[in-house]
Amino acid sequence: MLTKEQFLEPLARYRTDEVVITTMGVVRPWSEHSDSDLDFASADSAMGHAADLALGVAMAQPYRKVICLNGDGSMLMSLGTLVTIVESGVENLLLFVVVNHSYEITGNQPIPGAGSVDFCAMAKAAGFRRRYDIQDAEDYQGRLEEILAADGPVFVSVRVAPGEEGPISRSDGESARYLRTSLADWSRKFRQALSP
Amino acid sequence: MSNKTTPRAATFVAAFEDLGVTHVIGLPDNTSAALFDLLASHAAIACLTVTREGEAFAIASGLWLGGKRPVVVIQNTGLLESGDSLRGTAIRMAVPLLCLVTYRGFAKMTATGGGPPIADGNRLIRHDFDSVALVTEPTLEAWGVPHRLLDVGDHRVCVGDAWEQAHRESRPVALLITQAMV
Repeated sequence: MLTKEQFLEPLARYRTDEVVITTMGVVRPWSEHSDSDLDFASADSAMGHAADLALGVAMAQPYRKVICLNGDGSMLMSLGTLVTIVESGVENLLLFVVVNHSYEITGNQPIPGAGSVDFCAMAKAAGFRRRYDIQDAEDYQGRLEEILAADGPVFVSVRVAPGEEGPISRSDGESARYLRTSLADWSRKFRQALSP
Repeated sequence: MSNKTTPRAATFVAAFEDLGVTHVIGLPDNTSAALFDLLASHAAIACLTVTREGEAFAIASGLWLGGKRPVVVIQNTGLLESGDSLRGTAIRMAVPLLCLVTYRGFAKMTATGGGPPIADGNRLIRHDFDSVALVTEPTLEAWGVPHRLLDVGDHRVCVGDAWEQAHRESRPVALLITQAMV
């Protein structure tokens, strides 16, 4: 099992001009490693819709890699999106699912099927050709460059220890820049950052 | 004599071409099937079918973030399913988004003289109404989504007007399609 730090720090180190879309328990931790206009927090938004939002960005920007850091509870909310991603034919989407078996934001209540659901198997059944099931930091470090370079869509299940992130707000009290403004304002800024 | 105009799928496609629409995201029903059939082979407008309508609003919002010009096409039943996605993505992000919503149950509702109000819960279980029709417009009003019926007049102009409103006001606007497209 990885810590969030072990998951996010190497990803931030290798990241160049990729879009990164975060949600739920990684929204704040990612901002400790990145402060880019190409980061987008699916927060104060609609739970379960980070992966499909990322799909839209990937379809719009086929020459830019789009990385989505989804949660396992969030993924369960819209499993059909796995099929839609494959059906879309995008090759630039990298979908991580942080498997911590819990709804961290609300106090780590277990998700349905915690410990028994096989996300990689579901991604395979949906048609993802490239899938990675990461269980520890050493395996992750060894495969990350390959994961980032692979033609997509790529699905990565990462076993991460539950954290203690509380509810996410959008306010001046947040340290993350992408949370210190409204979703609408950040959307405009992000859109501008993606424009040629 | 009715002055209703039967909606033609080709008219919608022509309107989309006028507006520079790049993507149509949605789920077909009997009313919109002809439109999806036409778009399947369109050279310039990409059409993606979703597994559930809530996905359509998130995908369309992502497309807009990436600089594209999407339209959502769903049935009113799917609109109800989409509530939190519509609220949390397109509305919350201030996405200018035209949504064509096919209005299941509209003909039956109007033929029996029974539009909203729906405060009497018994109306939702009566067999002579399709309950989704009864709640469609009140739901859009509750969500603050401007909406208009595409029922009479020049449909190409109606689509353009709704698109223009969505972009002028930076928010989703629904165009309710009351008859099956041919």
